[in-house]
Amino acid sequence: MESVGGWHPGHALLQLFLCQMLGLYTGWNPVSSTSLNNTVSSSVCGSCELSCCQEFWRFLLGLCLSRASASVLNLNCSLILLPMCRTLLAYLRGSQKVPSRRTRRLLDKSRTFHITCGVTICIFSGVHVAAHLVNALNFSVNYSEDFVELNAARYRDEDPRKLLFTTVPGLTGVCMVVVLFLMITASTYAIRVSNYDIFWYTHNLFFVFYMLLMLHVSGGLLKYQTNLDTHSPGCINLNRTSSQNISLPEYFSEHFHEPFPEGFSKSEEFTQNTFVKICVEEPRFQANFPQTWLWISGPLCLYCAERLYRYIRSNKPVTIISVISHPSDVMEIRMVKENFKARPGQYIILHCPSVSALENHPFTLTMCPTETKATFGVHLKIVGDWTERFRDLLLPPPSQDSEILPFIQSRNYPKLYIDGPFGSPFEESLNYEVSLCVAGGIGVTPFASILNTLLDDWKPYKLRRLYFIWVCRDIQSFCWFADLLCVLHNKFWQENRPDYVNIQLYLSRTDGIQIIGEKYHILNSRLFIGRPRWKLLFDEIAKCNRGKTVGVFCCGPNSLSKTLHKLSNQNNSYGTRFEYNKESFS
Amino acid sequence: MGQIEWAMWANEQALASGLILITGGIVATAGHFTQWYFGAYSIVAGVFVCLLEYPRGKRKKGSTMERCGQKYMTAVVKLFGPLTRNYYIRAILHLLLSVPAGFLLATILGTACLAIASGIYLLCKFLPPAERAASPGCAPSSVCAGFCVYLPRAAVRGEQWTPIEPKPRERPHVGGTIKQPPSNPPPRPPAEARKKPSEEAEAAEGPSAGPQDNPIPVTDEIV
Repeated sequence: MESVGGWHPGHALLQLFLCQMLGLYTGWNPVSSTSLNNTVSSSVCGSCELSCCQEFWRFLLGLCLSRASASVLNLNCSLILLPMCRTLLAYLRGSQKVPSRRTRRLLDKSRTFHITCGVTICIFSGVHVAAHLVNALNFSVNYSEDFVELNAARYRDEDPRKLLFTTVPGLTGVCMVVVLFLMITASTYAIRVSNYDIFWYTHNLFFVFYMLLMLHVSGGLLKYQTNLDTHSPGCINLNRTSSQNISLPEYFSEHFHEPFPEGFSKSEEFTQNTFVKICVEEPRFQANFPQTWLWISGPLCLYCAERLYRYIRSNKPVTIISVISHPSDVMEIRMVKENFKARPGQYIILHCPSVSALENHPFTLTMCPTETKATFGVHLKIVGDWTERFRDLLLPPPSQDSEILPFIQSRNYPKLYIDGPFGSPFEESLNYEVSLCVAGGIGVTPFASILNTLLDDWKPYKLRRLYFIWVCRDIQSFCWFADLLCVLHNKFWQENRPDYVNIQLYLSRTDGIQIIGEKYHILNSRLFIGRPRWKLLFDEIAKCNRGKTVGVFCCGPNSLSKTLHKLSNQNNSYGTRFEYNKESFS
Repeated sequence: MGQIEWAMWANEQALASGLILITGGIVATAGHFTQWYFGAYSIVAGVFVCLLEYPRGKRKKGSTMERCGQKYMTAVVKLFGPLTRNYYIRAILHLLLSVPAGFLLATILGTACLAIASGIYLLCKFLPPAERAASPGCAPSSVCAGFCVYLPRAAVRGEQWTPIEPKPRERPHVGGTIKQPPSNPPPRPPAEARKKPSEEAEAAEGPSAGPQDNPIPVTDEIV
């Protein structure tokens, strides 16, 4: 898909979504607008005086805004759950039902979509609350004695704050706003980056929010008239006119002077005139069926089903086969689990109750189970307290006064549960003919699983050339996968495909040792000191793969990702197209 | 759980509440509600809270993301010293500020949000890191030893607002790493060994005092 100046079909979808919201917002919803019309006109404008019409419009603005924003909120509250059904998205990504790469790339944007829905909910909740506060004021001031059922207030000039706190919709509304406030303030980027726990724990309040939402709409504030044929809006109630102190002919002469040039000689003519009807009976009202239940029940059930499925699937602990310590604070864990299948590039979530009962952390698989070998593995970088404690449990530090030999100690591994696997954009790298994979530091893990898969068997995939660029700060980091790279390189040489994988290693820190190890000749000769020059690299790749589409994948710091994204969107003179596949973390 | 720094969340909440107070106040005064002076108060209180909470405090561990342009307000907030540093005072201040806004319908939301933020600030002070001490495999350190007992009353947890100071940028000394080229040709011993023979050569009568100091005595074997 050509990215002209960064435009992307995902953006088009987003824009379409926003236009739809605007449409809903302007009250296009036919059901709500007709019922609203009937309700308001019956309740307020029974006799159609001029001042009454002003009130009508004021009422209408408040009610219209609140109803329109409620429609938008319905749509968003139902859609926001869908991007979080990760198992479903992983299934869609891998299944044959989504053949187009374009559609799969839309799945990469699921987190952005979720955030957009969240922001919209926040904005329109503000509008909804403001409109309802105005309504509460109006309902109490303009209490109508004629239509008691339609009033939200119980008596004239009831304190709107009492309305807010003692009715079911009011109270649930206030609670929902408080929950929303807590969730939104904890979801800012700064909090997610520094204290992910706060974000995670408060975000789980969404369930409370949805329960309150279901109760909120069951209050039956908005009603529709059930007997429109016998009591149409604006019809004249003969029993009431005496109490309103106007006689019938005078009434007509005041308001309907123009269309009746014949004069007012016969009053019977007017009663027969279909322009004005006489009310046959009192109006009857019934509460609207809460539409919100229809909107949110589907996605909520789907999400709950997915969580249940994930819980059942992750209930069985894995068997840890081995734990290997690598230089630069990295630990590798190899394990097996029954019926565990994963594609290269996917990630899993680890949960270890001995370390922390509530926390779970995602890690990309570096080795996927194959038909012949059921072992899979992850590489963890020890950063933060959870990984530190996990490492201390798996690889206890040698203590001087311990009499137990280390290898016996390591047999008592703690129980580990995994959830997943979940999809990521890196799975797509095997589906391009030419792929450029750039890794920064520990970001090499998704590509390690790709390389392991290629080592196993490269023929079934579409990939025919892989440019693998790994930038590290510390020379020791290359030892994590040095063996894998050497074995892979040798294998392709044996099979007479030496140009399948092009390895380039970059050491960004220029002082210190500059050799990986004595036995890694292949890697030493491909090691460059200093940062890569991306423009030259892109030009070289474009020149060697004219007219092809190259998939660009980056797993590393944000600055690196931005540079590559920008370069991928630039045109080049060889007709090569670079498609950037973005991964979003936290 | 104990590692969570609640103060950052309370800061976000207070900033958001300030904005809500300003919005509610504008609605109240522009709409000419009865008791509109509460609206005016709410605007003033909202602005004050926003300005106070705008500079983000420094995290205990790790780097903190600064808000855009916060260094100007940091200088002002720092001037008040312990008044702004202490989170107790901030909590009580927010609670007192939120009360008058509760009388008007338009600003009642701001009251609720600011009260919650005040509650979280109090929580910062009362919630000690008890869980960290209880977990297994935790290496005993001075921090853990001090908090192994759960203190239900105000714990001296030490969470306070510290300003984010800009680090003085170290100018790279151009030419600092360029050292004098070696004076003797290879084979050259490492730097430590080079120093010792020169001291010994001063004391003892060594062989020829030429530019070349052979670490291993070289004998010329003439057959």
